Amino acid sequence: MFGRHNSAPRTPERAASARASRTAPHGRAARAGDIATDRLADFAYLADTEIYLDAACQSLRPAPVIRAVTDYYETYNACGGRVKYAWGKKVDEQVAATRRAVLSLLGLSARTHAVSFTLNTTYGINLLLQQLPQGRYSRIITSRIEHNSVFLPTITAARRLGIDRVVLDRAPDGALEYSPTMLDGALVVVSAASNIDGRQLTNLTELVADAHQRGGTVILDAAQAMAHGSALLRATGADAICFSAHKMYGASLGVVVSTLDLLASLDISFIGGGMVSDVRETSFDLVTGDPGSLLEPGLQAWGEIIALGAAVSWMGTVRPGGQSPTAHVTQMSERLFDGLAAIPGLTLVNTTAAPVISMYAPGQDSHRLAVFLSQSGIMARSGYFCAHHYLKDHLALPPLLRLSLGLHTTESDIDRTSAALARLLKGLS
Amino acid sequence: MGAVSAKYRRFARIAWGCAVRRVTFRPCDTTFKQDLKDHLLAPIAVRTPRLVKPASVGLEVVAWLVILTTVWSGYTVVKSGLNLYVYGTCNKENAESCTLGAEACAIPDQTPTFWGSIAEFDVIGAFGNEFSSLGETISQIPTRMQNWDATEYLPANETYLTTFDEAKPTALEVIDPGCQFCRQLFANIEEAGFENEYNLTYVPYPIEGEDGYKFPNSLLVTQYLEALRVSPVDDGAGTPVDWQVLERIFTGETDNGVPFQSRINGLDTDAATALLDGWLTEFGLDADEVATIKSVAASDEVADIIASNKELVEDEIHTVKVPTIIFDGRRHDGLVDVDGLK
Repeated sequence: MFGRHNSAPRTPERAASARASRTAPHGRAARAGDIATDRLADFAYLADTEIYLDAACQSLRPAPVIRAVTDYYETYNACGGRVKYAWGKKVDEQVAATRRAVLSLLGLSARTHAVSFTLNTTYGINLLLQQLPQGRYSRIITSRIEHNSVFLPTITAARRLGIDRVVLDRAPDGALEYSPTMLDGALVVVSAASNIDGRQLTNLTELVADAHQRGGTVILDAAQAMAHGSALLRATGADAICFSAHKMYGASLGVVVSTLDLLASLDISFIGGGMVSDVRETSFDLVTGDPGSLLEPGLQAWGEIIALGAAVSWMGTVRPGGQSPTAHVTQMSERLFDGLAAIPGLTLVNTTAAPVISMYAPGQDSHRLAVFLSQSGIMARSGYFCAHHYLKDHLALPPLLRLSLGLHTTESDIDRTSAALARLLKGLS
Repeated sequence: MGAVSAKYRRFARIAWGCAVRRVTFRPCDTTFKQDLKDHLLAPIAVRTPRLVKPASVGLEVVAWLVILTTVWSGYTVVKSGLNLYVYGTCNKENAESCTLGAEACAIPDQTPTFWGSIAEFDVIGAFGNEFSSLGETISQIPTRMQNWDATEYLPANETYLTTFDEAKPTALEVIDPGCQFCRQLFANIEEAGFENEYNLTYVPYPIEGEDGYKFPNSLLVTQYLEALRVSPVDDGAGTPVDWQVLERIFTGETDNGVPFQSRINGLDTDAATALLDGWLTEFGLDADEVATIKSVAASDEVADIIASNKELVEDEIHTVKVPTIIFDGRRHDGLVDVDGLK
């Protein structure tokens, strides 16, 4: 009764066995009753009848990433950063490699930046904002379309620091609408890409330059940008970039890439083991030479950090349909956008195609549509996507339906989803 | 469904929590209803989306029916329980329809039933009568805990089955001469030797139905019984003649083996009168005395006594079942078995 999508889980090994019988990594010999999907072999564990379109929440993990974390758990399950035995040494090497991979992905240097691992983007932003020093900033600037991971901590940080908080609008193309004088001594916290309609912060470089010129600091929420738009973030000069590994094909993990200057300015209060070199009765010495550890209290998610390294490596080599990841996602986005735009009775929030498309059907409850789509094996998100202020408070929209795709998405997924949604809306109206 | 399937237990917990909040006038999780409805409609949506809307309406109707039925069932259970406690029957409007409680002939309530009033489009009357009946039952709860003294409910000109003995307590039975359970009670009384332990008297109460009396000749027999009490005849037998008549009705049989009670219930008035007259003669009354009894039976005096007895049974004893017998500080509604009489 509750859907045909409850199929038996397929391990990477079983998927590999299945792939062996196929004619190509991203195509296979048709069998009777099969639905042609052309899905990447690294996602072969996904049943052909299952369509996952909530990558904006978390992406599917390709087989190499799953293998990496499984390998850690099965062969060298140890703590890093504090042990002398072989397994721990291997963990340290893998973690260091991941830090380097992240910096390289963003075009940054370890001489000026550090990588810290956290629970998720929200956690990382909170770690920064709640430990900023008093008196350093004159105001906090954010934008209306922000995810709660930005919107909420900026509220509490402004209260704690006793400074104003300014909420600015975004242009349809995603640019932050500001005047340079607003940035005097300001802490700017904005997203590089929206989780509602995927619009990017098109004036990011200009914003960072203006902020720095006026003594400000820019912290970026890159949760939605890292997977398919990391090029936007390269060499922007932002003081900190926070993102989630689980939205870029890694395991569940948060990452903060911060300038050494910003880290050094923090008034550290969220503290624990792994951050200190010595402890006395009433004082302690923070670790030196490892600025990233300032945001890493306690044990870390070693397996997930190692898996992030595998994800970054995978993203650098994967060629879905022979195309670059960016080209694939762009093609899928346009196909999805065109398909949805043609459905009568469906209103798109997006003005252009993007990997994230939000919509609603007047007179239909989006939560209900999500349940109905799920019955057809289509996993779509509904609600306000942690952007309550913008969608519910500001635009007074009803709960929305959101489709977000990834490198696992195929044309068949797109077409079947568009057809299912069209059929539903036609019948429900 | 949550009670029998783990799959739905989460919904059962949420539903229970919501119900508790609603009855305490607090808002509950507003998405629960929608979530559950969507899951139920999803298979229909996939197959035939255009049927979702009518199915949704159907679900609402079913849900409301379930709610109303549940509420009504709960109310009925509570009301029935109260009736059973107070009156010895779960249905005080028609005691015979309830299989719980002792056997008896019901004293029907002439008040229109709930659904009868609804059928007459008298909605206010329906609810008014229903709650009035419930209120009356609740008001009678203390009577179950009171000490019932039969001497407080004696009818006019009471007679006793055996010679009155001040050393013995008094027992009072409410009977309808035509009720088979009254006949059975009499048999149980004799088997238990109850009359040797108690001064047993009775209130004759012919049960009225919608069209006349439940047992066609009960009024006639009652008139004769009351006449024999008003104008007692000493036939030297010791047992009052009215009790002899009752004894004959409850224990005697025709030549064909048919119980006299059944015989009388089936006779027309003239035949029943002739039978009673014959018995009086058999019991030693001469023709003049029989004529006197017949005259008194038809008098206003006896009519007033019968009316007074009706008030006694309905408004003071408040029973809805016949027989009802009061003894040993308790009121027993319905047939009491031999052991209960010992």
